[in-house]
Formats: sequence, structure tokens, C-alpha cells
Amino acid sequence: MPDTNLPPPSKTPALSKNEGIKARSRALRGTIAEGMGNVVTGALAEDDTQLTKFHGFYQQDDRDLRAERGRKRMEPAISFMARLRIPGGRVSPQQWLQLNEIARERANGTIRLTTRQTIQFHGIIKGNLRPALSAVNDALLDTIAACGDVNRNVMCTSNPHASPAHAEALALAKRLSDELLPKTRAWHELWVGEERVAGGEPEEETLYGPTYLPRKFKMAIAVPPQNDVDVFAHDLGFISIVRDGAVIGYDVSVGGGMGMTHGETDTFPRTGDVIGFCTPEEAVAVGDAVIRAQRDHGDRSVRKHARLKYTIERMGVDAFRAEVERHLGHPLAPAHGASFTGTGDHLGWLQSPDGTWQYCLFIENGRVHDLPDRRLLSGLRAIANVHRGEFVMTANHNLIVAGVAAEDKAGIAALLLQYGMEQGMSALRLASMACVALPTCGLALSESERYLPDLITKLDAVMEEAGLRDQPIVLRMTGCPNGCARPYLAEIAMVGRGPGRYNLYLGAAPDGTRLNKLYRRDVDEKAILEALTPLLHEYAAGREAGERFGDWVIRAGHIQATTAGNRFHEDLPEAVAA
Amino acid sequence: MTSPARLPTNAPFPPDAIAALNRVIEHTSPTQRSWLAGFLAGYEAASGTPATAPAVASVVRPALTILFATESGNSEALARKASKDASRLGFAPRVLDAADATPADLARTERLLVIAATWGEGEAPARATDFMAALMADAATRMDKVNYAVLALGDRAYAQFCATGHAIDERLAALGGHRAAPLLECDLDYDAPAATWLGTTLPALRGKEAEPAPSVIHVDFGAVGGEAREWSKSNPFEAEITDLVNLNSSRSAKQTVHVELSLAGSGLTYLPGDAIGVAPENDSAVVEAVLDAAGLAGDTALHAALVSKHDVTTLSGHVVRSFAELTGDPSIKDLAGDPERLADFLPGRHVVDLLTAFPNKLTPAQLTGLLRPLPPRLYSVASSQAMVGEEAHLLVSAVRYQAHGRDRVGVASTHIADRRRVGDRLGIHVKANPHFRLPSDPATPIVMIGPGTGVAPFRAFMQERDAAGLAGKSWLFFGDQRYTHDFLYQLEWQDLIERGVLGRIDVAFSRDQDAKIYVQNRMWEARRDLHRWIEDGATLYVCGDQTRMARDVHTALRDIIADGAGIAADAAEERLAAMKKQGRYLLDVY
Repeated sequence: MPDTNLPPPSKTPALSKNEGIKARSRALRGTIAEGMGNVVTGALAEDDTQLTKFHGFYQQDDRDLRAERGRKRMEPAISFMARLRIPGGRVSPQQWLQLNEIARERANGTIRLTTRQTIQFHGIIKGNLRPALSAVNDALLDTIAACGDVNRNVMCTSNPHASPAHAEALALAKRLSDELLPKTRAWHELWVGEERVAGGEPEEETLYGPTYLPRKFKMAIAVPPQNDVDVFAHDLGFISIVRDGAVIGYDVSVGGGMGMTHGETDTFPRTGDVIGFCTPEEAVAVGDAVIRAQRDHGDRSVRKHARLKYTIERMGVDAFRAEVERHLGHPLAPAHGASFTGTGDHLGWLQSPDGTWQYCLFIENGRVHDLPDRRLLSGLRAIANVHRGEFVMTANHNLIVAGVAAEDKAGIAALLLQYGMEQGMSALRLASMACVALPTCGLALSESERYLPDLITKLDAVMEEAGLRDQPIVLRMTGCPNGCARPYLAEIAMVGRGPGRYNLYLGAAPDGTRLNKLYRRDVDEKAILEALTPLLHEYAAGREAGERFGDWVIRAGHIQATTAGNRFHEDLPEAVAA
Repeated sequence: MTSPARLPTNAPFPPDAIAALNRVIEHTSPTQRSWLAGFLAGYEAASGTPATAPAVASVVRPALTILFATESGNSEALARKASKDASRLGFAPRVLDAADATPADLARTERLLVIAATWGEGEAPARATDFMAALMADAATRMDKVNYAVLALGDRAYAQFCATGHAIDERLAALGGHRAAPLLECDLDYDAPAATWLGTTLPALRGKEAEPAPSVIHVDFGAVGGEAREWSKSNPFEAEITDLVNLNSSRSAKQTVHVELSLAGSGLTYLPGDAIGVAPENDSAVVEAVLDAAGLAGDTALHAALVSKHDVTTLSGHVVRSFAELTGDPSIKDLAGDPERLADFLPGRHVVDLLTAFPNKLTPAQLTGLLRPLPPRLYSVASSQAMVGEEAHLLVSAVRYQAHGRDRVGVASTHIADRRRVGDRLGIHVKANPHFRLPSDPATPIVMIGPGTGVAPFRAFMQERDAAGLAGKSWLFFGDQRYTHDFLYQLEWQDLIERGVLGRIDVAFSRDQDAKIYVQNRMWEARRDLHRWIEDGATLYVCGDQTRMARDVHTALRDIIADGAGIAADAAEERLAAMKKQGRYLLDVY
């Protein structure tokens, strides 16, 4: 029961449209089955497209083709993006081969690694949805809760061989993901032909209730000093506390989140607050308790205010912690504190303490496809055919070929070379991320994945000139302000405003603990280069030893530090103030 | 089944009235037509308007049976023309469809004119297969009484030119019939040779015992009002293109253009199921290559003639033989005289390949003499005048492929798709297809199987029913390569389904997955429902590719009937044959 002393979730009493869709859905079934049988359209019913997110896929259309479709007497070029649930991002070589086949036959022939350690298939037409999802099931994977108002894919620091703590993080990610999954069998019924239990009422969602969560919910586990998962960007973060080589428990961070809406200053990105410490045994119960607290107190009237970060802003962190502890049944212990060194991946070869090797392969923008001189799709297929370890997707949409026995290393290295995968890139490119955006994402206002490589080529020239070729700077681009590539935690970020125009943000901490701030509004490529070129030269000349660009822009007075999410829109530089 | 009556385009009514009357008359039974004729005559008499006394023949006229075997309708049209000519010459002609005829019928006639088409690679028209089998059977009735002549239609582009006509001609002789005139082989440009041949053959068929021509004036309705424009293959109407859009997406491997033509001022009318003949022009580059190969490059007058008048692509054994004769080149003679080599050489090759393989300098007259007239290309009309008025819509798939190291294109399709723009004109004529019509009873369920451009007449059918406010049971099977990029008229089908004009649609897209899925696969998946529809009296329509689709669809139908009725494949085949004869299984294939 909610605590009656707490303030009401929202002043607006009317529930958002999605709440009604969820309530009427009979545990996420809606009229999806009927829609699948309607062959004259590639679309599903509008309300059902909200429900399919819980099943792991979004209805989209190819926006490049929108203009011509009507004249050709065709509906929009509709297809679906399906996202998998892969806790900790780990798959076997056999699974990789199966996923590669699904991409080839049922999707657009590419695999998109995401910033949340999973993969997406794009371009699945309605007639291919069942075969695709059924093949995912055959690969012992699923897409349940990969999107939607539930606990989504659970992330963890990506190399399971680096230490026992890393292996434990992966195990915890799996437990959190499996145990906090919705109870409905709708996914199995709709996509892999499971028979409905006779006379069945919809399953009772003992954790989520009939309307699930007010909004999406994300979890990540970080093993310091690596913050590759951007642990403070998630609704719930677990930070491993290791003493004498053993995990004694986790510091708990709540209320992180990236998305916001342009022009609405009551929406903002936020880094999580550490509210205490739990033992490894308690971790799943903590996850359960935080979900219950958000389920009861999150805003169900205005979806853009529904994430946990706004619940905490409204309630106050102490009241929220009390609510979590009430569900947990006891207080959380005081946090231990931990520090991080960076958010990137260790690219290239690295030997693990267990003697095995791993190769972290840079995947530009996460897109696994064959380019003429860099044949990622074919190369990874070739590696999967011989690899005896595993693949791990990283939080920076790269891919680790992990668990390579010493005697297999030369063979893998030869394949990396043969398919052009081991190519020198600038440090700037290697530290970059982009969301998918155009042409498939319905939210995109600007290009991202298709454009960032070109912009980086131009910035590389500036970096080269400034003598910064080997200086990593975390650079992220998104096509809209919702933040899929976690732009507000990048040293340099471009967030789409409209065709060819971006807001430019500077000054996030390179360890993922501080948000950046708006530096220029509505700038095109020319203006981006004009703004960054003098800064990069000045940074090259004026930086202190080891000083990162995100810290330097603050010390040099170009931008003020964002000290908390609710200060994101404050203290803006003159050029963009009001 | 006799062919329905139609008002001629120059009947004294406005075009929309002619179309409306034709729509009514088409669906009438002979009894209904007799009643209507009597009613109108009686009405005129009762209202005091003096009716013209009908002309009555005063002498017994010799009977003439005109048998036609048709696939596309050309033989039937020619049979009707022959009937008119015969009438004028004093015969009492009877036009008989091979689909409704037996050899025993023919054995009783003394005068027989046969007009038989050959289809595809030397086959008899589908509707005539039963007749042909009976005629060829060992037990076939003797034809000792029969004086006959055969006019064979064919296409020299195919190897077995006029094979059906020859088979009938030889078989009738073998059964004791008397050949009254030598067989005439006709290519696509059959009008003039057929007219000449009929002019001498009909009198020959009358024989010695025939009565003199009766002194009765027969009015040729087709010729009345000769000053009114009578559009035909040889006199096409230049229709303005009012819309032209490629319906495939820019990501498609295909190009299927939707063309809207204005018929304004032409008086042309058509019915759903009819075809529009388009007079194409050759690609200037192809003409240039031919001229170049013949050593005639730079002859601009000849270039112009070849663009619009001659078939500069189709290569047949006939062309090779003519080329051998006019050049006297022994190596060409070797090829022309060796059927095996010829069968290897011809497929995929065009005239330019022959001229290039055997370089010979030709005179302009020699070159044009080698080439047949450029035939019009027929497209099933994709609209109903009840919906679009004085317009005709076509669905044209641009044919492009590679063969023997050259890029090849379909002459007419690329003429339309590549070289025509909105505002340009296309020479057209209407070609009736009376055997491919909506059922006269709108309550009869219809199953329409039309992948690719085969969907064109079904758009016309649906427009016709939509305009009439008729929502009979209907089911469309459509297929193409990819759902997203090749779903022709998708929004229109959505609208028709939504409004209940189209009852059901099933789609098959072959390249959306590894396994090739075609319409026949979807039919098999839906076999229970489909069989129920057939049992409920549905009429089946198949339109599109003949060589593979129509055959595979036929096999699927046979299997579905065998499965649904629990009978053997042979028995199912017989049911389909019976449906064909009843006009419940109709094909418009090419």
C-alpha cells in the first residue's frame, strides 16, 4: 500500500492514454493476434503498437521513402525493430550465428548492437515477425520486456573474465532480468505458438500489477573502476564493492535517466543518487522494492514526467529511500563509495587473470554490416564458426570476442585482419556513440548513425592539427533529446533539433558522474566545427597532464559544471541563455 | 456458351450509354435478349411508330459452320467477321466455339470454315483442348461429307508457328474431309491476308450446288456511319496520357507503371476484362544498332520507319530463312536449314544478333522486307468505365533483362515506362475479351488470382462492383516479389476491404524470405475455404504469366479440389475442365 503521507503523483488526475491501453490489454495481448492476420496492411492497430513494445518490438517506417509512398498507392514502408533481452550482453558463438541468420533472412541484413548491451534487428516486415521471434526463441533467447514500461535489459560491466566480481555482476544481471520479468505468457502464445491454458484469465502480474510501470525502467551493474555501463544514467544502478577480491555487496544508485523534451525545462537528464548499500543476497529484493516504489508513486498522467527520476525529484530522495526500505522490510546500510576512471571500453587484445584472451572490437555506431574494406558481418560470422569462447556486447555498442584460449588467439587475430576489422581509427572515433535515428526511428529529428562518421572525419582533421590524434574525448550524437546514446554524459554531445541542426553540449565528466550542459543551440555542421575548433586548439595548448576535455572546458570557464539534473537547464552560457 | 452481344461503338448512343447498355446486355441470356427485342418492337408498334420491316431471305441459304478456337479472342473476332462476309455472300453462317463443339457436330456439316489460334509454344487454346483430343482420337468420326478450309493464326516469334491450324487441317483430310482451299498461315498482322483469303475461300466453299446469291440487302452495322471514327489496330486512337506513375517503390527490382489514358472524344468504350492494344515504338538505340549491323547507319528516313512500323527485335526461324535467301550467304543457309542449331540459336536472340553474327550489307528494302510489321501489345485494362468514365487505366511491367551480352528491353513496356510522359500520347485500340467477364449474377462468388500485372483486370472488376454498389463475395490472391516494395495498389485494396467491396485478400511475396512463396502456396494454405467457395459456385479467374504461374495455379486448384472432395487428381482435373466449359474457370494469361 502506498504511504498516504506522500504527496500525490500528479496534479492532473486523468491517466495517460497508455495506462488505459495497458489496463485493457489482458496482460499485453490486446488485438495483436487479429492484427497479425490482416495481410493487407503491414501495420498493427495503433493501440497494439504500444503493447508490442513489451514484447520487444516497435513498429516503424522507412522515413526515406515516406514522400513517394502515397503517390505509389502504398502505405508507409512499415517494418518492425525487434530488440533482444540479453542480460549482460553475453551470447555464445552458436547464438551469434543464429542471430546472424535471422538478420539475413528476416530483417535488413544487419545486426545493430545497442548502447544497452543487446542487439536490434531492423526492417522486419509483419509477415516475418513470427518466424524471426520464433527463431530468437530457438536460439534460447527472447525479446520479452526489451522495450515497454517494465524492467528492460539489465546491463553489467562487460568482461566476465576480468575478475570474480565481473563474473558475479553477469550472474546478478541475469537474476535481476529473469526474476523481474512480467509473468504474462502472451509473448510465448503470440510468437512461438504456445497454447493458452484453457479457460484462462490473464496471468496475475504479482510484481507489476495490471498496468505495469508508469514508464520504462533500466538497470545496470558497474564494477569499478570501469563505468562502461554509465551506472548513473539508469533508474537503478548497482556498484560492486569489492574487498580482498570478493564482492561484499553493492552501492545502490536510483533515479538516473537521460531523456528530456526540447523546450521543456521541467524535463531533464539526471544522474542517479546513491541511497545505500545492499549485500549480494539482497540485490534482487532491492530491485523488486525499487520497482514497487516507482510502480506506486510514478506519474501515470504525463508520460514525460513518469520516469523514476521525476518521482524522486517530487518525493525527495529521503522519502523515496524510506519507501524502498518499507518494501524491503529493513533499512539499507550506508553506502561504501567507489570511484571510476572512465566510461569507455578497453579496445583490442587484453589478457584476463584466468589466462584467456579477449579482443574488444570497435563497431562504429554499433552497426554490424559489411563495408567494402571492413566486413564486420562476414568477419564475425567467420569468427563465430571457430570461436570456442563467447561474445559480449558492451555498453558502448562494441563487441568483445571473449574467452579466447591462448592457442586460439593467432587464429582469431588472422580473421580480424582478413576481414579488415583491425583498422587504426582516431581516439575520437573509438570513443564515439550514435543512436539509430533516421531512417527508421520515428522520434528522430536529425540524422545520427548515418551522419556521425562523416562529422568525425572532419573533427579528426581538427584534432590532428591540434596534436590530439590519440586523445580520447567521449563524443556522442543522438537524433532526438530522448538520449539513447546517453549524450548528456558525453564530453561533447550533439542532440538533434531538426534536419542538419543540433544542440551542442559540453562538459560531462569522463567517468560518467557529471552531466554536460548546453553550449550552442541549433547549430549546423559549419557552426559545430567553428565552435569546437578553437576550443580543441586551446585545450591542446592549455590542458594539464591527464586533464580531459570535459573537465578542461569547465576549468577554462567555457561552460559551468552541471551539479545535478535539476540544474541542467541553469547557468547556461550567454550564447544560449534564454 | 455463346458470346454475349455488344453494341458497336458507332451505335446511335453516347459512349457512356453504349457502355451502360453493353454492361446490361452482356449479362443477359438469349431468352432475355429475345424478350427485350420483342418488347421494344412491340412498344414501337403499340405507340404507332412505323417500324422498319425486317429483311427476310427469300431463298434457302447454304449453311456454313465457322468453328473458332481462341485464346486471346482474335480467332473469335475473325470468325465473326467471316460470318458477316459469309452472310453477305448468301450463306447461313453459324459461329461455333471449339469449346462447345464435338467432331460429330462437324461431321454433319457440309461446309466448314475453321479459324484456329496456336498458343505459346505450339499449343491449342485451353478452351479447345477437349475438342482437339476428340478430333485426334482414333475413334474420331469420319468427315467424308465435309468441305473445309482452315485459317491458322499464330506468332512467328514462336517455333511451332500455326501448329494447331495445321493439325486440324491435316486431321480433317485424314478423316476424309475435302480441303476446299489451302490453309492460310497468319502472323500477328493477320487482317489483310485473312480478308483476301476469305474473299476467295468463301466462294470456293459454296461449291457447285450452291444457290445464287440472294437478292437481299444485308446491312453491315459495323460499317454504318463510316464517317464516324472506327478505331482499330490499324487505325489506333491517339490517347493522351493523363497520369503515369511507377507503382513499385524506389527500392524495388521491378518497375510496374500505372498509366491513365484519356478516351475523351474517341467514343471508345470497354468493359472490365477487355484489353487495350497499344501501338508501341521501338527504342531509337535498338533501331540504330540494327541499321548499323545492316550497314545502313545514318539513313534517317529508314530510321523513322523502323522506329514506328517494323518489328526490329523479334527473331524467328522465318526471319533467318528469309535472311539466308536474300543474302545467299551459305553460313546462314546452314543455320536456317538445321533445325537443331536453329533451336539453339534463336532463344534470347534478337534481329540485331543475327545481323551482327552474319554481317551483310543490306538495302533499305531488303531490311524492311525481313521485318514483320510492329505488332500492338495488349494490356488487360485495369479500370472500369463505370468508375473512371472516359479513361482507361493500364498496368504495364517494364521488361528488362540481359541475354547474349546485351541489355534487352520489352518494346512496348519500355516505350511506355521510359519514353512516355504525362501529356504524351499513345496509339490504342480496344480489344474485347468477352470470355473474361464478371458473372452475370452479382451474387456469384468470385476468386481472382492475379499476381503482378495479372491483378489489372481485378482492379477493373472491383471498380465495376464498387460503382454499382455491389458487394458480392470476392476473394483476391495477389503476389509479387516483396511486400514493402511491390504491393501494387495496396492502398486501394485496403480501402476496398474496409468498405466490404473486396471480401478477402491473400498475398504471397516470393522474396521476403528464403522459401519462395507464390499465390499457389497461399491458395493451398487456404484450401478448405477455397474449396468451399468452389462448391458454392464461385467463378475462378486467373490472370498473368502463362508459362509458370497459370500452370502452377492450375495444379494447385486440381490438388485443392482433390483434397477437398476426396477424389483422385484425374477426377479433379475433369471437374476443372467442366468448370472451364461452364465459364466458371477463366483465364487471361500471357
